[in-house]
Amino acid sequence: MSDGAPKERVLSPHLQIWRFTPTMAASITHRATGMALYGGVTLIALWFIGLALAPQMAATLTGIFRSPIGVIVIIGFVWSLCFHLMNGLRHLYWDSGRGLDPKTATMTAWLIYGVSAVLASVILFFGYGSA
Amino acid sequence: MSKKGTSTFVVQRATGVILVPLAIWVLINLVSVLNADPSVALVWLTPASKSIVFGAFLAVGVWHMRIGMSEIIVDYLHGWLGDILRVLNWFLALALFGGIILSIYKISFAG
Repeated sequence: MSDGAPKERVLSPHLQIWRFTPTMAASITHRATGMALYGGVTLIALWFIGLALAPQMAATLTGIFRSPIGVIVIIGFVWSLCFHLMNGLRHLYWDSGRGLDPKTATMTAWLIYGVSAVLASVILFFGYGSA
Repeated sequence: MSKKGTSTFVVQRATGVILVPLAIWVLINLVSVLNADPSVALVWLTPASKSIVFGAFLAVGVWHMRIGMSEIIVDYLHGWLGDILRVLNWFLALALFGGIILSIYKISFAG
């Protein structure tokens, strides 16, 4: 079968060809929240570095965090971290070879959507309540 | 293409495990500290126990997200654009990582 030509790696199948299932939704959400956290952690790291080394940058970022858009960003970040953290634990559980049958995986996918929403709500309620 | 698939897999799991307790602590404190005045946030972070845990969350998180983003780029983009993005991804991670470590020192140890 090999003709000696260099083999191109295949691209991943694109999102639109899949039938919807809770497990695929959780998988896509894991990636999407990972990308959101990439942006959020970059912002928070710049804020942290600003506190230590560039006070003007820290002050600008605090202004952004307090703005209406900042509130939406923080709400999104907190829920994304809750979801990614819990689904990450699900991945580690899978790495142990357990929880992989479709029934369990579907149940844990629903569970993580529900619990991450509740957890993020509680964190945001107390976080903004004490500010 | 990289031939370090196994070590990347292991590092992504290891950083993920380390991030679990760090992320829980950060989630509890994040909203109020981000909304505080910078001077108040700085005072709150000054004890080494706080700046190290917060900084470790960010630094380990930066490493974890560098690997994750690299995986996404490799999945969807081949060729020069993907190569450039992966170099930028490395560069951003190194710059942030160095800045975070320096900031922990500056906040809690430089007096």
